[in-house]
Amino acid sequence: MGSRGGAVAPAVALPRDVAAALAAAVGSAWLLTDPTALHAYACDGLTGWRALPRAVVLPASTDETAAVVTILAAHGIPFVARGAGTGLSGGALPVAEGVVIGLARMRAILRVDLDDERVTAQPGVTNLAVSEAVAALGYRYAPDPSSRQVCTIGGNVAENSGGAHCLKLGFTTHHVVGATLVLADGQVVELGGTALDPAGYDLLGAVVGSEGTLGIVTEVVLRVIPLPPAVRTLVAAFEAIDAAGEAVSAIIAEGVTPAAMELMDRTALSAVEAAVHPGYPSGAAVLLVEVEGPDRRCAEEAEQVIACCRAAGATACRIAAGEGEAARYWRGRRAAFAAMGRISPHYYVQDGVIPRTRLAEVLQAIRRLEEEHGLRVANVFHAGDGNLHPLVCFDGTRPGEAERAEEVATRILDACLAVGGSLTGEHGIGRDKVCQVPKQFTVADQMAMHRLRTAFDPAGLCNPGKLLPTPRLCGEAPGIYRPHPTELRGVADRW
Amino acid sequence: MDLTGLPTVTPTDREAVVRCLREASAAHTRVLVVGGATQLDRGNPAAVDLVLSTRALDRVVAYEPAEMIAVVEAGCTAAALRDLLRPHGQEWPVDADDDATVGGLIATGAAVPRQLGVGPLRDSVLELECVSGDGRAIHTGGRTVKNVSGYGLPRLLVGSLGTLAVIVQAAVKLRPLAGARRTLVAAGGLPVALGWLRSVPLATAILVHGDTAELRLEGWADDVAAQTAWARACAPDAHVGDDAPFPQAAPWSHHPVVAEMSVAPSRLGAVLATAGCDAGGLVGVGAGWAGLEGAAALDRLRRRVESLGGALPVVRGPGGLGGTLPAPAIHRRIKAAFDPAGILAPGRFWGGL
Ligand SMILES: Cc1cc2nc3c(=O)[nH]c(=O)nc-3n(C[C@H](O)[C@H](O)[C@H](O)COP(=O)(O)OP(=O)(O)OC[C@H]3O[C@@H](n4cnc5c(N)ncnc54)[C@H](O)[C@@H]3O)c2cc1C
Repeated sequence: MGSRGGAVAPAVALPRDVAAALAAAVGSAWLLTDPTALHAYACDGLTGWRALPRAVVLPASTDETAAVVTILAAHGIPFVARGAGTGLSGGALPVAEGVVIGLARMRAILRVDLDDERVTAQPGVTNLAVSEAVAALGYRYAPDPSSRQVCTIGGNVAENSGGAHCLKLGFTTHHVVGATLVLADGQVVELGGTALDPAGYDLLGAVVGSEGTLGIVTEVVLRVIPLPPAVRTLVAAFEAIDAAGEAVSAIIAEGVTPAAMELMDRTALSAVEAAVHPGYPSGAAVLLVEVEGPDRRCAEEAEQVIACCRAAGATACRIAAGEGEAARYWRGRRAAFAAMGRISPHYYVQDGVIPRTRLAEVLQAIRRLEEEHGLRVANVFHAGDGNLHPLVCFDGTRPGEAERAEEVATRILDACLAVGGSLTGEHGIGRDKVCQVPKQFTVADQMAMHRLRTAFDPAGLCNPGKLLPTPRLCGEAPGIYRPHPTELRGVADRW
Repeated sequence: MDLTGLPTVTPTDREAVVRCLREASAAHTRVLVVGGATQLDRGNPAAVDLVLSTRALDRVVAYEPAEMIAVVEAGCTAAALRDLLRPHGQEWPVDADDDATVGGLIATGAAVPRQLGVGPLRDSVLELECVSGDGRAIHTGGRTVKNVSGYGLPRLLVGSLGTLAVIVQAAVKLRPLAGARRTLVAAGGLPVALGWLRSVPLATAILVHGDTAELRLEGWADDVAAQTAWARACAPDAHVGDDAPFPQAAPWSHHPVVAEMSVAPSRLGAVLATAGCDAGGLVGVGAGWAGLEGAAALDRLRRRVESLGGALPVVRGPGGLGGTLPAPAIHRRIKAAFDPAGILAPGRFWGGL
């Protein structure tokens, strides 16, 4: 399913009757089958992986989505939901024998209900649009992925997306209180949305972060929170990245929880400075910290943070003098991925997580890998919660370099797992890391997840080939769960 | 639930739990998992043949204060965990009875009085080691605060009342213990409570019962002083208790039946106004408790809560969970996936699962 690089095989056209039924469900203008149109949907933000779907369908409502899924289910045709296609793990990579269901037309904010501090939105609404809809009322939607201007709430729910401010305020899962879900057979269910502890198992909790494998989210109820009374943004420069890491640990040990703590190394900084001129103090590493809260507390926390940075050897500390300067510092951080183009034709992003206290050790391992493989790695990370984004730089036109970059990326994740970390903190497993899942989960663990998946989608039509490895995708590698044929038929069970 | 006369097994490690559940599944022995036995009334009545006690699984597996995560076995009590964390200035903010166990608290997923400020219990559960009904050891989640690898199975297990798997070990997220803690009590009921919700930034909890409103403030001393000044603007006569417990009073707890409500926050007032009983509600959260005399009163209040889109499970006394399940087919398949022989407290969960 899907291929890496190179040419993309054309997909087999849909049977005529299926195409006609889909066109009738959404209007023929919203069924795309022309190969040139389909090319725009061949990949997400992980552009190395591509596949052409048989068609793209763009429904405008829950009912239309349910109608589309019902038709596809009746014909056993797999489907992949797609928001803005900014995902970085190949979650929205089409299935060659399947159809892409794009939610981009469903971009209405349906309700703003400040009595309950909630916003109900369609899945195609962008992350930033939710905050903008309530900003004038003194509220915001907390999770803020760097892609917030374009990525959709549906994609955020599917990936359990994070962002710089999640350190204090939590990830998507902490801010979703309800969802309307079109199941893989076309049925529509509502999960949560009113009480915080509704009857039953926490199905909503399982759906958030399920990478579009448990159904299609067609409406979301989000929690919004008041804007902070005051914010201070500050930057500190260090001679060594390890020192910056120590500052991070010291700040947390002080009992201060900044809203955000972002770290960038020299390589990342050189790209960012060239691209957007954020004007950071110069050093081998820059720590960007934001504190928020009541005015006086905010000022005190900023002082505490500066004291910790100085004690850890910061060579310069600056508090942004106003919103303009703060925005400039943030622009640098937000542009970090895009800016890599300045220093490298291609890069491969990883998203490993480590226990915060093991930072120095893992950074050292990354440095060793850089030397061994002769590739540069830029480091940008959500330092407060140990979420690394190493960007492995390479030139895909040089034979073998892409493979070497992937090897480095994989070994970095191994280093994360070796200290008790995780394969992914916010980008998801998707197609990208699916064959590495057995490094983090045993066969029994994968089996439990597989069973949850089949409880939602017994026919396996909903974004197949993502999140959990299969022998077909990953070869007969050890540690991959394979359902036994009798198990699949439900007649036998194994220990 | 009455457990007298039932045989009890008390496994001392995960392998023993695995053996016990494999045998039980093979023999169709129905098993009730019990921790501190503080929440046994929660759930529908379920006939069982065997009690599996987690009390001997009480080790601290890992605790590194700098990571603000504690990993303990399921039978570790709330009191033992508190004693472990307090010297390091940290807490797991679930406000439980001393005897309650970490595994039991997670399995019940009870409302947390300080939820407004500290978040719901489910948000603090990072990793669970458990054994499914058919005796498979499963590891879910991970030992880092941030982690999206695989499905959010820990969330599914929070509040599952021991009907999917036996939790044997948990990694929970901690928070710093506040330097200053204060409870304000004022007359004026809901209007005062709502005034506090609007005007006191970062309140840790606001509880209303009858004509009384309680405000919980936790944080740095300066902030708490500033918050107190804001609070006094709404309720000049509020009584301030430093280091006082929260809540100060729980009138609902003196009744034979206690139910836990969950409604949209804006509906709490409507429920409390018509509850006609000793009830308390957490403003801004939509959770609360009602003390009831018996089945008729429970029925009445449950209909009211459910008509507002909420749920009202009983947590002490008879009355079960009530409610109707969304997506019942998915619920049944999940139950069958984790507990194919249906031996884990069959019937105890919502919808008779
Ligand atoms: C420059 C850049 C910066 C980024 N920064 C961050 C960051 O800071 N933090 C972070 O967490 N991520 C970040 N990302 C990754 C990405 O933006 C997020 O994963 C985002 O949530 C994806 O949203 P999308 O609408 O683009 O989803 P898509 O890429 O279209 O889809 C992502 C997944 O969600 C599924 N999906 C989409 N819509 C639905 C739906 N309605 N129902 C069910 N499933 C659905 C898809 O099937 C797919 O599996 C960044 C990406 C880029 C390119």
